[in-house]
Amino acid sequence: MAMAALRREGSRFAPLLSPRPITAVRSSPLAPSHEDEGPIGVRYISTQVVRNRMKSVKNIQKITKAMKMVAASKLRAIQTKTENSRGLWQPFTALLGDLPSADVKKNVVISKGLHKLNSGPEKETKYVILGEKAKAQLIRDSKKDIELIMTELQKNPLNYTQVSVLADEILKNVEYDALRIVFNKFQSVVSFVPTVSTVLSPEIVEREAESGGKLGDLDSYEVEGGETKGEILQNLAEFQFSCVMFNALLENACSEQGARMSAMDSSSRNAGDMLDRLTLTYNRTRQASITTELIEIISGASALEG
Amino acid sequence: MASNAAVPFWRAAGMTYITYSNICANLVRNCLKEPHKTEALTREKVHFSISKWTDGKPEKPTVRSDSPEE
Repeated sequence: MAMAALRREGSRFAPLLSPRPITAVRSSPLAPSHEDEGPIGVRYISTQVVRNRMKSVKNIQKITKAMKMVAASKLRAIQTKTENSRGLWQPFTALLGDLPSADVKKNVVISKGLHKLNSGPEKETKYVILGEKAKAQLIRDSKKDIELIMTELQKNPLNYTQVSVLADEILKNVEYDALRIVFNKFQSVVSFVPTVSTVLSPEIVEREAESGGKLGDLDSYEVEGGETKGEILQNLAEFQFSCVMFNALLENACSEQGARMSAMDSSSRNAGDMLDRLTLTYNRTRQASITTELIEIISGASALEG
Repeated sequence: MASNAAVPFWRAAGMTYITYSNICANLVRNCLKEPHKTEALTREKVHFSISKWTDGKPEKPTVRSDSPEE
């Protein structure tokens, strides 16, 4: 691979010199800055080119290593937040269940991009998009299904207040039966699983409760405080939505930093490999030119004596 | 005194439960003492821009940038 690069560099210098009858196997003509001029018919490999390439690869390696450190530190910070936020929605799932299979008329899908949900024929799906990347993707395909787009979210680090205000906007502007949030769940630094989590509107929860199953036990809970069950359900649904969205955004951020870290890591390793190969080439060409000089000197000296 | 569908005062005023809990949280944060107070208030900043779409056409986006002094 370094050879191909050298050949490419060589072909750039070819117009400077007239073609020689002897074809060299892998040498490029002299670079103007390299001082050795041999007798006619001898070509030297230009070590200058190899040295420049080594310098640039080393710089790239430093940059990617730095990016990896940055991503690792950000990941650590966000990961603790994510672990803490998981406790917010787990009671909700224990109480109300996650029900991805609930059959609803109107689905609203919230996503940061990179996922597509296919729904059946009678179900209407609308998208709420968070972030510029998702916007570019989904605008191309599902232009008429988009409900809301929210951008410029990176100005402040993720906090619950921002997410809850976003959730509030969504709740106010969109009528829904089920809200599905699509995000990358962070399992470890190298594995992220796209997941969908569902929040049902209070009416659907009522409907599911009547049809039995996990939600059917909701009636067995005692409600105190003078609020009706419908009200509590509504408050719970809103709060659940906000918590789930907070967790989803955090997990997404974790997955993003994890992906960035592993990408930078493999890129630094690749740069290291390239550097090793270039070093070998450099040493070989240097030694070859030294040997050639020695041979000339010795043969010249012996010609003089003999 | 309460009607049959006794909604709490904030629900009747048009707020969602989320808005209600945010305002309560803001009040609690304002009760903190000084170094922790500014820390907590920085955790509350909100900034984003939202644009509603109808029929595949975007309307003008509005930037919503709350500051904690609300």
